[in-house]
Amino acid sequence: MTDIAVVSVTTAGPRRGWRSLGTWLGAAVVGITLFAAIFGPWLAPHDPFTQDLTRRLLPPFWMDGTDPAHPFGTDQLGRDYLSRLIYGARISMLIGIAVTITSGVIGIVLGVIGGFAGGKVDDAVLFAITCRLSIPVVLVALAVVGLLGSSLTLLVLTLGLLLWDRFAVVARSTTMQVRNLDFVAAAWCAGCSRGYILAREVLPNIASHLAVVATLEIALAILLEAALSFLGLGVPPPLPSWGLMIAEAKEYMFFSPWVIMIPGVALFVLVFGINLLGDGLRDLLGTGERS
Amino acid sequence: MSATPAIEVKSARRTFRTSGGLFGTAREVVAVDDVSLAVPAGSVLGIVGESGCGKSTLARLILGLLPTTAGEVLVDGQRLDGMDRRFRAELIQPVFQDPFASLNPRRRIGDIVALPLVAQGKFAGAEIGRKVAEMLERVGLASDMAGRLPAELSGGQRQRVAIARALILRPRIVVCDEPTSALDVSVQAQILNLLAELRREFNLTYLFISHNLAVVEHVATEVAVMYLGRIVEQAPTAELFHAPRHPYTRALLASVLTPEPGLGVPDVGLGDILPDPANIPPGCRFHPRCPVAIERCGSVAPPLLAAAHSRVECHLAVAGAA
Repeated sequence: MTDIAVVSVTTAGPRRGWRSLGTWLGAAVVGITLFAAIFGPWLAPHDPFTQDLTRRLLPPFWMDGTDPAHPFGTDQLGRDYLSRLIYGARISMLIGIAVTITSGVIGIVLGVIGGFAGGKVDDAVLFAITCRLSIPVVLVALAVVGLLGSSLTLLVLTLGLLLWDRFAVVARSTTMQVRNLDFVAAAWCAGCSRGYILAREVLPNIASHLAVVATLEIALAILLEAALSFLGLGVPPPLPSWGLMIAEAKEYMFFSPWVIMIPGVALFVLVFGINLLGDGLRDLLGTGERS
Repeated sequence: MSATPAIEVKSARRTFRTSGGLFGTAREVVAVDDVSLAVPAGSVLGIVGESGCGKSTLARLILGLLPTTAGEVLVDGQRLDGMDRRFRAELIQPVFQDPFASLNPRRRIGDIVALPLVAQGKFAGAEIGRKVAEMLERVGLASDMAGRLPAELSGGQRQRVAIARALILRPRIVVCDEPTSALDVSVQAQILNLLAELRREFNLTYLFISHNLAVVEHVATEVAVMYLGRIVEQAPTAELFHAPRHPYTRALLASVLTPEPGLGVPDVGLGDILPDPANIPPGCRFHPRCPVAIERCGSVAPPLLAAAHSRVECHLAVAGAA
């Protein structure tokens, strides 16, 4: 038994990631969603904004009385549900990735600087993180929408400027760990500059942790967008966001439960897939060492 | 040869503050307390002492990894602080204890060994490749190792890589901080022999830190014994091992395990109280554990008795000398 355990530990790392079914599943879900997001205009059978009030709330293909032109049925305004779902994937992925890039840059820069410099600089970074954690995201979003109105750009900026805390915390603590390892001291003794040590010795060794945070943040941003859109604080109608679709469908859920179920399931599957991919990434980016 | 010592430490002191939390009081830990030493070019100074005595902090002060709180460190006659990093790298290089932590797990062996050359910024790619291959061969590694990752190497091989990296710039001084402590006994001898060969070949000066007395006796020309941040005795190796003057040195020598299992761990009469560098006893800092302490040891700091090549800080050494 111990032999098996030892072997699996030493051969872990680059290969274990792709051997797990979860990684493949996550990659497939994220891949399909990305594909739909990028090629949405060519994939969608209808225009997602065209209303047809004579064909409202048509049921999806697995129910009776469906229209083959609308495989996922239509919503309360007669818009094609599949097309709205595909365009909604665009919004979700766009928000997830844009928010994560914005917050990632802020959080990683702050965290790495604080963790590497230590002392007063680190105190300042910690204070910034504490301040950020004491700000409720939904209240800020409410205030921003109240003051400036709702738009996609504004939503990305609001979330991007707020969701950097986890990046900062993880970047800071991993940088502190790596900074104290002897290979960083050796690079210093070798005459390397601070910038070189940060970029070539520290960052590659914390990248796998940051990649995991990035996947979590993408999922979180997508969920937050859905939640804010549900509350009417996110993307403005008639943009087809999954959260907005759920919000618009909630009045019909007792008579046509699929209108709320389809975007809900899509949201769940996407977030689940991103998390699976994140787990796989962590294994893939490991060095094969468990020290 | 110049009379300038390779390493000269003048009254160096290094303290660390430990946070006492929100309501506690911060404590000051004195890791290195008023240490002065000189290592003549071409010699090997061994530094011994138990863990926590400040020997690694001293190594870091000498490497410039930590600034001194007071006092100064001269390497080849020049002050370490404010020295250009590339110039410093050509003078002094480290070999660390743990070869699993001292090599970046994400870089290939060739890149790791080449790092000091790359940092100099004056060597062409082809020249770097040639020098790395030469150095790998010199430390006993096949040149095809250059493409491997540290995870694929054994502890001994990794320590050879660390030595190759330290010597690729042909520095004059190498600080070895317990270079064999993390290795198997069978590999330790190989690494020690390699270090000795390289010292002769490149005319190096070593500062050799270890808690293993046998290793120090084997490599060092002179030995300094550290206790709670101070050097309590320093003498040429043979003299220190045959006629130790400080009771702590005698206890260290007596604590070496014998090969007979029946004898067990030797009792050297030091008691079970471990020293606390945040709470250094008054008088002689060794007196609470000293088996031969007299009344004066608890109140008066012992004077430094310096001869040409040896020195000791102990009241009883005065009495013995008188």
